Amino acid sequence: MNRRLMVSRAVYLLIVAGAGISLYRMGLLDPGELGPAASRLAEFSASLLPPDTGVLPTLLKAMVETIEIAFVGTLLGFVISLPLAFLGTRTLFGPWVSGGARLFIGSIRTIPSLLWGVVFVVGFGLGPAAGALAVSLYTVGYLGKLYYEAFEGVDPEVLEAVRSVGSNRPQLITYAVLPEAANAVISQLLFMFEYNIRASTIMGFVGAGGIGFFMLGYLQLLQYQNLMTAILLTLAVVMAVDYLSARLRSLILPSMQTRTGRAPLLAGLTALWR
Amino acid sequence: MASSPTVPSTTVREAGKGRGGRGAGMEARDLWFSYDGKANILQGVDLTVQRGLMTMILGRSGSGKTTLLKVLQGLLSPQRGYVRLLAPEQVVQGSQPRGSVAYVPQTLGLVRNMTALENALAGALGRVGTMRTLVRSFPRRVVEEAHETLTSLGLADKTDEQVFRLSGGERQRVAIARALMQQPALILADECVSQLDPITAEGILEMMRGIAREGGVGFLITTHETDVVAKYADRVVVVQQGTISHDGPGEAVSMDEMLELLR
Repeated sequence: MNRRLMVSRAVYLLIVAGAGISLYRMGLLDPGELGPAASRLAEFSASLLPPDTGVLPTLLKAMVETIEIAFVGTLLGFVISLPLAFLGTRTLFGPWVSGGARLFIGSIRTIPSLLWGVVFVVGFGLGPAAGALAVSLYTVGYLGKLYYEAFEGVDPEVLEAVRSVGSNRPQLITYAVLPEAANAVISQLLFMFEYNIRASTIMGFVGAGGIGFFMLGYLQLLQYQNLMTAILLTLAVVMAVDYLSARLRSLILPSMQTRTGRAPLLAGLTALWR
Repeated sequence: MASSPTVPSTTVREAGKGRGGRGAGMEARDLWFSYDGKANILQGVDLTVQRGLMTMILGRSGSGKTTLLKVLQGLLSPQRGYVRLLAPEQVVQGSQPRGSVAYVPQTLGLVRNMTALENALAGALGRVGTMRTLVRSFPRRVVEEAHETLTSLGLADKTDEQVFRLSGGERQRVAIARALMQQPALILADECVSQLDPITAEGILEMMRGIAREGGVGFLITTHETDVVAKYADRVVVVQQGTISHDGPGEAVSMDEMLELLR
């Protein structure tokens, strides 16, 4: 048996052993724990049905607020993350500037969105404004990182070619970095919006607006059939956003276009820009 | 289908205007360069590049050809030695790209998502105000110039086509159009035809020769293909391990001698 095979087998064994120990410590291998837990879950599931549609009008209003939080939060986060990501790109800026920008983006990412929600509720009071700001900061933390990585992935020969014409840094960004990374920028923005719909749902748990506020209330008041309606509505919206963003992606991204011509939406955007 | 290239056009003839007459070009003396401060990629290179001529740098892979072009263009700063532009006269210190010297990298460096016209216009970035370029509002004469340049290179019906939809030969011509939009005195091209089929490669090299002869633009082209050098080089420079081992007129070197020089 060669050394490489021995190492890979040892790694597999370590992973399996680690997983076994962790499962045991959590009580997930104990039939005495698992049996009662399963029956309690079945009982809870039964109490969720049938969903109570009487609360639907109230929940629809809250859902619109959740979508607004996600939309405004994503947009704000995108606008802030783009320049920060440029500053964090090592092929554009020196180590001090890029290191500082990365540290800033990283520190924002360290704090979970729910905690940002608490922070902004303290500042702005209960409501969707706090939720939108929390989502926007969370977006900056993630999009900032994804974007500077995408910008650093731009072919160095493209950068050299555009630099060699005597362009300055803003021109280099406009004529090389952004167009080359456009697919990644758009794709990750749409993904972030999908993600933020889910993140905005739980913002209500800390009073930062949206459908989460009602979900928490139904849980606390043991109104599980109302909770089920809220869960199904959230599921429907998430699926709809998934579908719409996939459609949008196929309209915008060149790699998904046919060879017959530019995608109508992209052509429209380009025409507007000109 | 793209129309065939008709070189040189008025635009091409004006490409190198205002930067001195034929013959004046670039002079490099005692260039030393190392990426890591240990291994010297260039070791005391002396080179003069003439305008209006096709100078070809022949060398094996890893001999320092690409590094030499980047140092000559100003993308890399030599640790020792200097590069002097003879028209207009200018000594550039540090890594400062020279607007009058265009550079076409081996993979062309075109922006895939931009159209042929937008890529050609990028060549004019150094001579148009920053604010106008940031909102993509180039002066009308510059846009017309880009259209003319692309038309003269046989790309009249491809101007609004995104680059990733073009063939290898068409992309090559877009890269040359971008270089010409700089109104350069010299164009440095790195292995510019190595990835093209022989017929397309011949077409591109013929076109470059036309631009050199009629437009007075000097070409410095790196290659490892001896047949290309034998047919198109006005001057042959052989680079071996970061030094120039031969520099002379193209017609004076036979294929066998070139192969011998490369050993």
